[in-house]
Amino acid sequence: MNALRSWIARRLLLGVLQTAAVVLLVFGLTEALPGDAAVAFAGDQPDPQRIAAVREAMGLDRPAHERLTDWVVGLLHGDFGTSLTSGRPVAGFLADGFGPTLLLATLTVLILVPVSVGLGVLAARHEGRLTDRLISSATLGVYAVPEFALGVLLVSVLALRLGWLPPTAVGYGTDLLAHPAALVLPVLVLLARPVCSLARLVRAGMIDALAAPWTAHARRYGIPGARIRYGHALPNALAPATQQLARTIDWLLCGVIVVEALYVIPGLGTVLMNAVADRDIPVVQGLAVVFGVATVLLNLGADLVTHRLAPRSGAAA
Amino acid sequence: MKRLGGYGPGAAVVAVPLGIALAGPLLVGEPTARAASFTLDAGHRLGTDFVGRDVVQQVLLGGRPVVLVALAATVLVYLVALPVGLACALTHRRWLEEVLMRPLDVLLAVPSLLMILLVAAAFPPGKAGLALLVAFVSAPDATRIVRAAAAEAASRPAVEALRMQGESWWRLAVGYVGRSILRTLAADAGIRLTGVLYLVATAAFLGIGVAPDAADWAVMVDRNRTGLIVQPWAVVVPALLIVALTMGGNLLVDAAMERRTPVRKGRRT
Repeated sequence: MNALRSWIARRLLLGVLQTAAVVLLVFGLTEALPGDAAVAFAGDQPDPQRIAAVREAMGLDRPAHERLTDWVVGLLHGDFGTSLTSGRPVAGFLADGFGPTLLLATLTVLILVPVSVGLGVLAARHEGRLTDRLISSATLGVYAVPEFALGVLLVSVLALRLGWLPPTAVGYGTDLLAHPAALVLPVLVLLARPVCSLARLVRAGMIDALAAPWTAHARRYGIPGARIRYGHALPNALAPATQQLARTIDWLLCGVIVVEALYVIPGLGTVLMNAVADRDIPVVQGLAVVFGVATVLLNLGADLVTHRLAPRSGAAA
Repeated sequence: MKRLGGYGPGAAVVAVPLGIALAGPLLVGEPTARAASFTLDAGHRLGTDFVGRDVVQQVLLGGRPVVLVALAATVLVYLVALPVGLACALTHRRWLEEVLMRPLDVLLAVPSLLMILLVAAAFPPGKAGLALLVAFVSAPDATRIVRAAAAEAASRPAVEALRMQGESWWRLAVGYVGRSILRTLAADAGIRLTGVLYLVATAAFLGIGVAPDAADWAVMVDRNRTGLIVQPWAVVVPALLIVALTMGGNLLVDAAMERRTPVRKGRRT
């Protein structure tokens, strides 16, 4: 028990360090770039007066460490700074976009886990036979396809040619749950890559677990096949998949940005892309912190779950 | 992992987009006069795009930037990953390894596309900038793999023997360790290339590192989306080519890896 506690303590410490590092990195990156936020914001028409005004507003004339301290203290209080384009607080932007993005991510993860585990177990049970070959080839093929290309093809076929689903979420506002049809295509596209990677891992883990000596031993004891498969082999197969699930969060975040742009969903990804187009550095920084910290926390959670599922595997830290 | 066939399917799928990407710009000929946007008249086999350019010509021109930027980024990744990974694996100074590897753990914690967007917001990159950026976000993972593979090779008795003979660091790192990890490197390079291709195309779709009217498959998909109902070909053809390129590439990489590590048969009891 003591070893477990010290492992958890070390893992939590790593998470705290990573969070701090993400915040520093976000600040440092915009600091290290040529020019400063004001020059970047002014863009192609550098108007000295405007640059001076932005510098004044962001306090860019003060030393970097002072601004960093202020920014971090603000972050801890939920104050993400002020947008350069509209003068609104960044936290307001985050609150606006949060709903649709959370809905998309939650739906995707809720469907992702049963579908990929189901596919992986199905392929593993029929290892080497046609079902397995079909699932393995399909998951391998779709695995590397960018979301936007897949999404645009699905729109052309399912929405425009067949007319089954709305092509975009335009006109539905932020209350997407009231229009489930508009959610089908985005969630489908978001699912594609993570399902492939997870199903492949579950399949490989299942096959390894079913071939292990302890499975053979359990069989000799006369334990029913289903109980061996789902009670013993599956948890072992899920350990690497849980870790990958956290890595898929990286993909999901990338995917959310693309999918929101593609289907015109007013979530955090759209806020981020607009801020990038306007070079609105405070908004981009705020979003980067939120996304980065979310990734760190999810990785942390996944490591804890993995440790619970297969304590011997000695996850990171 | 079992798939249908060996190199065949992957090669067949990737041949068309790769052929167009490499040979397309040679076949394109004189640019035709601009017509109306999003038309499907007889003069243009696949119609015209959002500013009235011929879609066939744009398709022929649009593959090269995607493929070249991805290749350049992959090469750049290893320019960083190889020296850093080898240095970490061969050094006996623990602090040097920590200093080199710990920052990479942090970089790995940030989603790659987010990092690209963060930099692009402050400093819009060009084509070379995009390759650098993609390499920057892909390098940490590659470095870890190089280090892990090299550390295994560096702990062999042969390396100790070479050290005692007084061989130079260069001979050790490149001559022995570098050569023994070539296979792992080749497999990793394939995976890296598909990952980089994904990032390059997605970034271009989001308008990073490309001109708004660039002849680039990803940009074509983005810009011609507005005319999807009247003129689907300007979107569907480049999207299909990107799908084929990434899908075929991944199938090929997997086939190559399977050839290297033969599947153990008959393990089920």
